[in-house]
Amino acid sequence: MFHVFRNTPHGREALLQTAYFCRKMRVSPVVYIPSHARFLLYMENDVIQVDLDPSYLRSPETAQAHVNAVMAEMGMEPPRFFSPRHFSTPSLPDVPVIFNFMTCPEILSDRKGKTGSGYIGPRVRRIFKAAPFPLLIPPPVFKPFTSIAVMFGGSINAANALRLAVRLKRLSGMPVSLYTAEEGRRGKKYYEKLMGKNALTGVFAQTVSQWHLFPAKHFIENLFLIPHDALVVAGAYGHGAIRRLFRKSTLDVIQTNLPNSLLIVGPDYRQTV
Amino acid sequence: MEVPLFEFAECMNTDPGTVERWIRQGRIPVKRKGDSCIFNREVLEKWAAAHNIRFVMPGKARPGEPEIASDSLVAAMASGGVHYDVPGRSVSEVLRAAADRLEGLPDRESRDILYEKLIDREQMMSTGIGKGVAVPHPRTPLQDKAVDARIGVCFLETPVDFRAVDKKPVDVLFVLVTPSARQHLHLLSRISFCLREDAFLRILNQRPDRERFLKAVAEFENRLDQGVP
Amino acid sequence: MAAYSKFKRWVGASPQWLGGDDRLLLIAFGALVGSCCGVAAVVLNAGLHAMEGLFAGYRSFWWAFLLPGIGAALSSVFLEKIIREGAGHGVPEVVYSVSRHGGLLRMRSMFSRLVSSSLTIGSGGSAGPEAPVVMSGSAIGSNIARMFSLNERQRIALVGCGSAGAVAGIFNAPIAGLVFTIEVIVGEWTARHVVPIAVASVAGAQISRLLQGNQIPFTHLHFDVAISTTIAAGGLAIVTAAACIMLTRALRQSHHLSGKVPLPLWGRAAIGGCLVGIIGIFLPQVLGEGYHVIQKMVEGSFPGGFALVLILLLAKIAATSLTLGWGGSGGIFAPCLVVGSFSGLMYYRGIDALLPGILQVNEGCFALLGMAGMISGMLQAPLTAIFLIVEITGGYETILPLILVSVISTTICHIFEPASFYFRDLIEKGHYLRPRTDARVLADLQISELIEKDCITVPKNMSMGDFVKVVQQSRRNYFPVLDEATGEFAGMIHLDDIRPYLLDTLLHDTVFLEQIMSAGVETVDIDDDLAEVLDRMDDTGSFSMPVVTNRRFVGMLSKATLLDKYRKELMLQTTD
Repeated sequence: MFHVFRNTPHGREALLQTAYFCRKMRVSPVVYIPSHARFLLYMENDVIQVDLDPSYLRSPETAQAHVNAVMAEMGMEPPRFFSPRHFSTPSLPDVPVIFNFMTCPEILSDRKGKTGSGYIGPRVRRIFKAAPFPLLIPPPVFKPFTSIAVMFGGSINAANALRLAVRLKRLSGMPVSLYTAEEGRRGKKYYEKLMGKNALTGVFAQTVSQWHLFPAKHFIENLFLIPHDALVVAGAYGHGAIRRLFRKSTLDVIQTNLPNSLLIVGPDYRQTV
Repeated sequence: MEVPLFEFAECMNTDPGTVERWIRQGRIPVKRKGDSCIFNREVLEKWAAAHNIRFVMPGKARPGEPEIASDSLVAAMASGGVHYDVPGRSVSEVLRAAADRLEGLPDRESRDILYEKLIDREQMMSTGIGKGVAVPHPRTPLQDKAVDARIGVCFLETPVDFRAVDKKPVDVLFVLVTPSARQHLHLLSRISFCLREDAFLRILNQRPDRERFLKAVAEFENRLDQGVP
Repeated sequence: MAAYSKFKRWVGASPQWLGGDDRLLLIAFGALVGSCCGVAAVVLNAGLHAMEGLFAGYRSFWWAFLLPGIGAALSSVFLEKIIREGAGHGVPEVVYSVSRHGGLLRMRSMFSRLVSSSLTIGSGGSAGPEAPVVMSGSAIGSNIARMFSLNERQRIALVGCGSAGAVAGIFNAPIAGLVFTIEVIVGEWTARHVVPIAVASVAGAQISRLLQGNQIPFTHLHFDVAISTTIAAGGLAIVTAAACIMLTRALRQSHHLSGKVPLPLWGRAAIGGCLVGIIGIFLPQVLGEGYHVIQKMVEGSFPGGFALVLILLLAKIAATSLTLGWGGSGGIFAPCLVVGSFSGLMYYRGIDALLPGILQVNEGCFALLGMAGMISGMLQAPLTAIFLIVEITGGYETILPLILVSVISTTICHIFEPASFYFRDLIEKGHYLRPRTDARVLADLQISELIEKDCITVPKNMSMGDFVKVVQQSRRNYFPVLDEATGEFAGMIHLDDIRPYLLDTLLHDTVFLEQIMSAGVETVDIDDDLAEVLDRMDDTGSFSMPVVTNRRFVGMLSKATLLDKYRKELMLQTTD
């Protein structure tokens, strides 16, 4: 799991979340203490520039000790530190995308300022649209979770979300429950059929302990169903830019209204078990 | 055609990661959809031939892998034949006669080749392994792949001095012909297992008829397979 | 949106109905990319003229020497703060991305350099518009490929198309665009690349002719090239090579020097620009891209004598290194042409002073030859130089000395500066990966693809007796030992090391694997570079190494598997 560390109290919260996730899911964290204000993520078919702000570059001499302290607090050994090996230009390091997960740098998914606006930045959107790994958006403060909640809307990405949840359950043993916002009057059958089409029926029976269906009209009201201590797994919803102008995407609504940790899966996510 | 990625990698006899990269780099006429590969079989086969890369469709056996030697002594002896009163006073005469009698060789020419190879091997070092038994065999497997593993059992008319390790004259030959070195070792180790048993030597001395002999061998082999020491 | 995704799918499927071949597709895309790049070139030209017009009004003030400083600072601020693109030369970035990332370039690169370089050059900085337009063109090609989800190979072809279209467009020189791209950017002369890139060159040049008219940048009189000119060209090559080396080293030195100045990037750019402005007060010929100066020299109507040209030559080198080395934005191409024509002219005047009348040709011819020598030495790309000069001057009659001066200059420069200006950094960092080379194959192969996973691991506390049973069933000589409590990698047992003890039954129950394994063996991490790992293997003389990541054993890496995979990869990359 790739984490870009910001040597500030906010950055500590994010790192705590990452460390907690890593411990629960038994993945090993890789921490990058930025040496430059920006870096490039080279995906299969896209290159994304991540711009950090100066607070990321603050006091690099204490950063490593702080990271180790946070890890120790979580009962984990010092992580591996990532140091970029390749540079596109002398001030622009490349980050390879060989990680299983990535924690979204807070600068891109700033929740503090924009909580009301419910907006996942275009850059974050681009990352998970092209990334082969899921993206963890940590809450503003560290929040442990004990169960997994999958937002299953029935699209191909929702199927990916369910696959990811299966993988997470296998890693952590946490219970998985499914939440479906039913559009119109499709009925449970419709969604079951969809699972069958994606060869998920068997998996579903084995892993999902609860399935909540609620009408999409009352989406926000029903978000209360999701426990406060759940890790929310959601597929990216592929809306075009124009449609987003008129309607908030479901992901934005989730992001606005849920203080939980959010794990987003894109269309290019690949299950590697 | 649509084949899962890992299965496709097996068809290409390579790592899934490599296939993934080849598709990404556009080196191979395959499209990717989720975790599976989509391709046109004809195009791909043409491509594989042009690049000298092996591609085997899923479900087909891979060629070139020899089967593991599982032939039993009995089967080999049955196809090689059991021969009695094989004439000859010297090593070369006996071998000539044995080569002529071995069953399953296609023509005269291959018998001549076999004889020469047997002599060749005998000149290197005696194949007499003691206790009146010799195991003549060619040094290299016969070129003729059509010939499967066979053992010609020859009871000699008169004992012949093979310059065996224990200096005893030889009166039984096991002429061993195999298509591969592996099978050769396999059969030879089975023969040597049998010869370690006094009971087996007693049976050999009785010169039993074909039926009784093969039955006895089968018994010993059974014991070997079941791991009874 | 729906139509776009439908078309995208159609493009993705097309190789099937074309018999698995995407050549026609690439030609179509090449034309599209070339046209876009032609437009970009025209836009840059217009931008340059607009900027020059804007700044021209202030030239007469006493503080005019500040203008290049202001321009360079603005362009630096634009690149760093507004577009936030870490600045670089442009061309090396394109080559890097082609080498390492299948030609992926950022969207912002499509226009950033157009703006920043017109600010730098328009205000008087000594730099050229070509590298910026190559960068933009390549980024256009790359992003078009990305939009249609083309694969890396097709994307690289389109990046090439972009650069070819851009060069063809800005110089009105289609062959130079093609040759430059193949020689410098792509590095592979195969039909698969040449065809779409040629189409893009045509499209780029055509668009630029359509919008700007068909004009040759540097027209000249007719030259009567005699044998004396051809022979003299050999001597000229030495002069241009010397100028090349001077320019290269001056650029590097000034870059080092500016790195030590404790100022923000834009501050450094401003200082560099102002220094250029000061030179410009005395020698205005060194300012800007300098094409009108070249025009005069090629026409043979450049005033002054040997000494003036020599001073101008040195001043231009200084101005260029102050502009580019201190953070201005622009390319090396145009300054090279100017320095080249200066050195040609200087050489001519020098010879003419010593042996009057021996060169029976106009001095413009030597300005032209000088340009070729300079370009070929700087880029170490003789073909590009030859075709470019022939095309931008229309002087085919000079082809014989032109070829001579280009190749000799390249050779001499190569002796002193083994890598060209564009590739020096890339080669140093191991990013110069040309197709069909060892480095290319090694860079493509990932350790994760080479791991043998069928190893039998044994726990640390296993007794020797149990281990012997494991050995009997195994077909390998290496046994990784794990710590059973943590699952971490502890060490290796190599059969050769313990063979003498294996059969000693007394040891079977008394010795544990922990005691006989070799701890502290060298290991490989899964994301290491294969080339480095191979070097390490050569140093230690080992044939295989355990792959350990996060202290956990993953598999073995052995030279035997490597050969198998390497060969496969090589076959794949070398047969088209």
